[in-house]
Amino acid sequence: MLQPADTTIALYDTAAAQATTVQRVEGIERPMLAEDKLPVVLAVVLIVWLGLLILLFRTDRRLARIERRLDAD
Amino acid sequence: MDRDLALPRYGLAYRLFGVVVAVWMTVVLVLGILGPITNLPILEHTARNLYFHVPMWFVLYAFALVGAWHAGRYLASGRAVHDVRSEAAWTVSTVAGVIALVTGVVWSRFTWYQGTGLWWSPEPRPNMVAVQLLISGAYFILRGQLDRPRQRARLSAVYALFATTTMPFLTYVLPRRQASLHPGAEGNPAFSEMDIAPEMRWVFYAASVGFLMLGWWLYTQRTRARVAEIRLEDAEADAPAPAVVIA
Repeated sequence: MLQPADTTIALYDTAAAQATTVQRVEGIERPMLAEDKLPVVLAVVLIVWLGLLILLFRTDRRLARIERRLDAD
Repeated sequence: MDRDLALPRYGLAYRLFGVVVAVWMTVVLVLGILGPITNLPILEHTARNLYFHVPMWFVLYAFALVGAWHAGRYLASGRAVHDVRSEAAWTVSTVAGVIALVTGVVWSRFTWYQGTGLWWSPEPRPNMVAVQLLISGAYFILRGQLDRPRQRARLSAVYALFATTTMPFLTYVLPRRQASLHPGAEGNPAFSEMDIAPEMRWVFYAASVGFLMLGWWLYTQRTRARVAEIRLEDAEADAPAPAVVIA
């Protein structure tokens, strides 16, 4: 794995900037940076969806509990 | 329990339904965001909005119909549960309508109206839909103004039926009589073979079904919560007054 690009160099020396920005993409970055970084959007959307789902299921459980108590009375 | 407020049992089948919606929508989100699309000029990646913007319209229509159905059932039977169901369906429908309108505004701003600075465009559909949402929104204002439960239920049921009859004309018939970006503007049905690419078709259908199921979930939750609330109020009203304790 190469060092991250020192972007300040690009201001003075474009050739050096080109040399250093060529990085090998490894690990989780390989799928995540593909296709204009669309998978990053998916990851964010899925996290939002997970949060909404937790709220939905918790509301279901809470309602079931209230209904049981009302039926018992 | 009061027969007026009888709901079906939300047991195992209902919990399984929730799990199905969770898995279904997760798959739709993955396919919708990563799946293949036809790369069209102007639209580019925003073609994916088809999966999220258009199903909101289906939710708007479907739950307006559910709301109208229960409004009619209330007027026929006078059972309070139909009033509760009608309001819950109208809430889901109106929220979906607002989301559809706002997402449509954002979508068109950065595609056809890119560079024009136009957020609100001369497009006939959003204009008519805005009128429809005002009509739908008045339902909630009407409810909020009436204190006596039976009067509130009866009047809002009549109003819900009225508001539903304007919906097809304002959001479907009239926009199709004018030049429009939306499919079907030339009087043809939308979503024909030419309107939607085959690789996007099935994700779109799945997204539509998924959002309708999600809408149903929210609708039943609101119904259950409101019924529980009414039962609690009734129980409190029936309870004997607390004994006066003199210390």
